[in-house]
Amino acid sequence: MTATLEKSPAKAGPTARKRPGRRWTRWIPYAILALYALTGGIGPLLIDYNPVYTSLPDRLLAPGSPVSSGATAWLGTDGTGRDVLAQVVYGARTSVLIGLATVVVSCVVGVAIGTLAGYFRGWPDMILARGIDILLAFPAILLTIVIAGAFERSVLVVVVALSATAWISFARVTRGVALSIRERAWVDAARVLGVRPLAILWRHVVPFTAGPVVALATLEFALVVLAEAGLSFLGIGLPNSAVSWGQTIANGKQYLATAWWISAIPGVALSLLIITIGILGDQLTARYGRGHVR
Amino acid sequence: MIRLIVKRLLIGVLVMWGAASVIFLIVRVAPGDPASIMLGPDADSEQIADLTARLGLDKPMYVQYLSYLGDVVRLDFGDSYRLGTAAMPTVLERLSATAELMLASTAIAVIVGLTLGLLAGARPGSITDRVVSAISIALQSFPTFWVGIMLILIFAQALRILPSAGAGSPLHLILPAVTLALPFTAVVARLTRTNVAETMREAYIQTARSKGLSERQVLLGHALRNSLIPVVTVVGLHMGGLMGGAVVVENVFAWPGTGSLIVDAVSNRDYGLVQAATFLIAGIVMVFNLVTDLVYSQLDPRIRLDGAS
Amino acid sequence: MTRYRALRRTALAALAASLALTACSTTSGGSSGGGRDITVAGTYSIESLDPASPSGGGATGTQLTSKALFSRLVRPKADGTLEGDLATEWTPDTTATQWTFKLRTGVKFSDGSEVTADDVVASFQRFIDLKSTNAANFTGYTMTASSPAEVVLKATKPDAAIPYKLAVFFVMPKRVQGEDKEFFQHPVGSGPFKLEKFDSAGTVVFTPNSGYYAGAPKVTKVTIKKMPELAARLTALKTGEADLIWGIPDDQLPQLQSDANLTVQTVPSTAVFTMWFNSSIPALKDAAVRRALWQAVDFATIIKTLYPQTGTLSDAPVSPVTLGYSPQEAQKYDPAAAKAALQAAGFDFSKKLRLQFANAEFRQFNQAVVSDLAKIGVQVDLLEKEQAVFTKDLLAMNWDVNFQQLSNPTFDGANTLGRLYTCAAKRNGYCNPELDKLLAAAGASPDKNERVRLYGEASKIIWSDAVGMFPMAVKFAYAWNKNLTGVVPDPNGLPDFSTIGVSGS
Repeated sequence: MTATLEKSPAKAGPTARKRPGRRWTRWIPYAILALYALTGGIGPLLIDYNPVYTSLPDRLLAPGSPVSSGATAWLGTDGTGRDVLAQVVYGARTSVLIGLATVVVSCVVGVAIGTLAGYFRGWPDMILARGIDILLAFPAILLTIVIAGAFERSVLVVVVALSATAWISFARVTRGVALSIRERAWVDAARVLGVRPLAILWRHVVPFTAGPVVALATLEFALVVLAEAGLSFLGIGLPNSAVSWGQTIANGKQYLATAWWISAIPGVALSLLIITIGILGDQLTARYGRGHVR
Repeated sequence: MIRLIVKRLLIGVLVMWGAASVIFLIVRVAPGDPASIMLGPDADSEQIADLTARLGLDKPMYVQYLSYLGDVVRLDFGDSYRLGTAAMPTVLERLSATAELMLASTAIAVIVGLTLGLLAGARPGSITDRVVSAISIALQSFPTFWVGIMLILIFAQALRILPSAGAGSPLHLILPAVTLALPFTAVVARLTRTNVAETMREAYIQTARSKGLSERQVLLGHALRNSLIPVVTVVGLHMGGLMGGAVVVENVFAWPGTGSLIVDAVSNRDYGLVQAATFLIAGIVMVFNLVTDLVYSQLDPRIRLDGAS
Repeated sequence: MTRYRALRRTALAALAASLALTACSTTSGGSSGGGRDITVAGTYSIESLDPASPSGGGATGTQLTSKALFSRLVRPKADGTLEGDLATEWTPDTTATQWTFKLRTGVKFSDGSEVTADDVVASFQRFIDLKSTNAANFTGYTMTASSPAEVVLKATKPDAAIPYKLAVFFVMPKRVQGEDKEFFQHPVGSGPFKLEKFDSAGTVVFTPNSGYYAGAPKVTKVTIKKMPELAARLTALKTGEADLIWGIPDDQLPQLQSDANLTVQTVPSTAVFTMWFNSSIPALKDAAVRRALWQAVDFATIIKTLYPQTGTLSDAPVSPVTLGYSPQEAQKYDPAAAKAALQAAGFDFSKKLRLQFANAEFRQFNQAVVSDLAKIGVQVDLLEKEQAVFTKDLLAMNWDVNFQQLSNPTFDGANTLGRLYTCAAKRNGYCNPELDKLLAAAGASPDKNERVRLYGEASKIIWSDAVGMFPMAVKFAYAWNKNLTGVVPDPNGLPDFSTIGVSGS
């Protein structure tokens, strides 16, 4: 598989690139992501929302209804009369932050462990392999659920629970890269010149993991955001004080037949983000290759 | 080969010990204790202390750990605190429901996914290819619980052709199996597409074509066979993953599988049940991984198993 | 083009194969349904069938199955009054310390053996020995058989509530000793039903006990299915997969009420939303502060919007169907006065109060309470805890305000007022010797009217000292298929399946 990957682009590059009309479409995912980032970043400054304040007379209003304060609930209200639009906007921030935090944590941990194991081989590699085996002995979601379910709900617990298995893919990919890089001539040269191993790792090995890691990070980000929503659905996700899409979707699940907008709108926001990241991840994977898993 | 399997099994024992210990630690570090949840909010502290002692949970942690390990070696997983039954048989009872769901969803995903992947991969860049790509990205992106509830609303509530929840008849299997299959269908389709597209450019395919084989023969005889290798890998991993990982779907459809058993057991702090269930699942996952690797090496002689990773 | 067509044929063939695979699994099954089989979509999980075991004793699911499988000495009716089950008569001595129960003769267990006084005594001893929370109502009490058809229960102190408290005591054959797991695989009782199936997934199947002393139930089979998702329960009822569900939230009632095939009814329950204040912490030590907090929440509006059909503003610490109920003067909603009172009492507005609760169904209610308190500047951290953590923190008093829906299967104030509000109970940090005296007297008096009066006085102290907020008396909503007859909505959410019949079959 690796072999074909290396030689195929020259012979038959992606068909998409040959069409002139398609070139600009490549930027659509970035544009959508920017939109999400803007919404999450600036939206909260424009829309005032505090999850503590409920407004019972306004509960379960359909999108576009006027609320008691005189404003309009463009995306409707939820079971306690809170604005769904505001929840989508604030939820964008929470979901993106949780996603980023988890990806950063698992990326740092995974890359560090993966490069160390791949570069030094021997017993660090052995420990890594067995550690991964132990963690992979459970389905990823199971370990996440056991951790998230066992502790009091908080943002930290959710990030830890999600990172507990997410770092593994990073470690595997970087280990593969490190294994092949350590045999290269310039690494040998650096070793002979007496450069310290950690410096070699930092200067000569880690940079080569960037491509596959970035590609992987986008996919992991999507998975993490989905998993957070799933945890909230099971009632073991974020605390009530946090506004997240998963929370809002879960809150609306009992109203699916009567007040669809509570779950549907954040659901669409979530799905669109995941689709976009999926496309982006594909593009990045196509460009950087998918690294060496084994 | 035999030596390899033996080595993998030895590593397996090590992994199982690690897995058992990790779970032992997590459930005990978690706040909340079994006695107070068993007795309910009406209990007083004296009753709780009494029950804690009866359950043997008042002993020091290391004593509990050692006796737990001792029991595990003898394949005795103790009782479920809440159900009052032996833990392992209870888990096994639920396993068949999970296995049913796993097999049905995997069959759907593999058949549909391979089909879509073949269609798309045979002509990269065509309309079919783009439609399939779009569908598969979408399928992977929708939250499972969301899809499940939507399917209930459509097929059970509006059309009334399928039961909404529970198990019992093959009819009950359809909605949860389809819900579970959708994202995996997308994985299989995308994987197959990539591999078929790559294979179709290979020299030997050109050779096959020039020998006068029909496109269908080329596709099924060569391209499909080659694309099966990665598919086997993901199927193996996926099936292992479903043993306890179908939690969300089991929850939505009230499917009596191991996933919902574990979620309940964790929230009830039913240590015995959590330990038995996770141990069993870890064992099954390990066997799946081993078998996957073996099948993998049989399908593609270029790959030799490397025991180290 | 031909190449492509061949390809498409292949693909279609594969697709057809997959469809065929799905199809053949659809045709082979199909749920059967006998004419008088009924299916119930359970609200609670059923994990143990042993009502005396520590885990079964406190569990609502176990009470539900026990009602079907076993008999009691006396049992409460839906209106809270008592009726004889195995006992036909029960009389106290003058001090209500010793109670004599005359047993019904000729009652048989489902295995054919007769129910004797020995069985009752042995069951009671086992009940005490297994130390469930229910047994704590009888600590030190002893039961003896004075004749084959009479038992005597001796209390350690005068206890007028004994017949009510016995609502949680079930009789089984005397051969059952300790935590007999074997027995509860195939339990034998003298209740209206026999057990056909019970699995760890929470599915329970009952068949009628043809020898039931009051006549065998009319249905041929009762299946209780566990459905944790509300949406699934509602759908199951609408499609006819389930015949009876209960515990339906208010927001879902209209869609069931508009369904011509369903009957929907609500019944006043023993449950009261109870929001204790932790009186042992400095911030809430002062009754004026607690009253002010109560005054700051617009419970009338909250109940009207969130629970228009299943909630009524409570006017006592216990529900109207409970013995000992005595209406109190309503707490008026007045945020301005509340704020002034808090300021006057020197309440520290910068400190956050921790409000804990355990079940997602109460989230909106508690959010609304927190919102109202926030309006006068009282900050509250709303902590939705897992049951395991909630229970532990509840007893450890690791909270400032605690929300609970308190039910009372015994229908007697002794089980709530008498048990939870004494100094010794240490449940909410409140201690008042005068209240203790009243509660003790109410528990001991053999005269029912006197008991109600004493509980009324006790309620007045609890109410005006604001030991907690008592916002809402709960009604349980039941919905069932129109072709069921004889469904009696039960105030504790424990419907009796033996009265149910199926019409038109």
